[in-house]
Amino acid sequence: MAPSLTRREALGGAAAALVLASCGGGDPPPSTGPQAGSGAALLGSLLALEHAVVAAYAACEDVLRGEVLRNTRAIAEQEREHVARLQGLIRDLGGDPPAGRSTAEYARTFPRLREPGDALAFAEDLEQRQVRAYLEALTELPDLELRNAAASIGADEGAQLAAVRVLQGLPAAQGPFVTGAL
Amino acid sequence: MATRSDVDLLEDLLALENRLLSAYEAALRREAIDVALGEMLRDHEQEHVRAIEQALRHAGRRSPRASVPSPDLTAALRSRESFARFARELEADAVASYAEAAAAIRNPRLRQPLGSIMTCEAAHEVALRQAAGDRVLVD
Repeated sequence: MAPSLTRREALGGAAAALVLASCGGGDPPPSTGPQAGSGAALLGSLLALEHAVVAAYAACEDVLRGEVLRNTRAIAEQEREHVARLQGLIRDLGGDPPAGRSTAEYARTFPRLREPGDALAFAEDLEQRQVRAYLEALTELPDLELRNAAASIGADEGAQLAAVRVLQGLPAAQGPFVTGAL
Repeated sequence: MATRSDVDLLEDLLALENRLLSAYEAALRREAIDVALGEMLRDHEQEHVRAIEQALRHAGRRSPRASVPSPDLTAALRSRESFARFARELEADAVASYAEAAAAIRNPRLRQPLGSIMTCEAAHEVALRQAAGDRVLVD
């Protein structure tokens, strides 16, 4: 069966792709700092995505109200905790955590969010991408401690994805294996 | 602490999955869970059991350990509220166990599949929070 995209899915997907392209993951690695293969560069990419997602949730707040807003604020708080955790891990490896971009820079890449459905579709797509990113990191990170962190944060992202889906009236899990999307 | 083998990790996950599966089957029989939610959770756990059993067969283990039903299950089946609370604790244990296993397992090809079950179990926790009427769906 050929998959089809709803307008909301298309909005979220295209916008999230823009966010990813602008979040700094393609910046050249620093010439000094942690050793190649330490996992610091991958953690930096995850951190750049987390910064963008924190900014995205702030933008979503403009069109959300009530319990939906309460939930997305709780999710955004978790994302800020992930930022701090990733920053600590990168520093432990001798690296310099990448800073986030300005609100205005992020805002240029975000879709126009006219209503709660737009914001939640955007948030769902970002959460899907985060789930995928952390699952891939599980395979690529060289050290058990770093993989433990990626798994722990990935579990949070799975719960956040489920919450955003529930807020849209969708089942919490799409199926028995939640792999995210890129 | 001694490092556990891949088979040990997978057998522990299978035991957890069988506990979850037994719990949802019992809850459906006793009407201790909404039918649609219970069937979805049961069906997901069945798929997880199949996947872990397959991984164990590939690892050369053909006779997985039998799991022991939770002694707390009978008490939890008295009401939908108590079952939701019980199931959430089981799901939280499953998330933590999958997170540990996905990071520690030696076979790197199993890390993403175990992670994808972990994120599904995390979604189950959210579904059970919603069923219990929680207003905030994440911790």
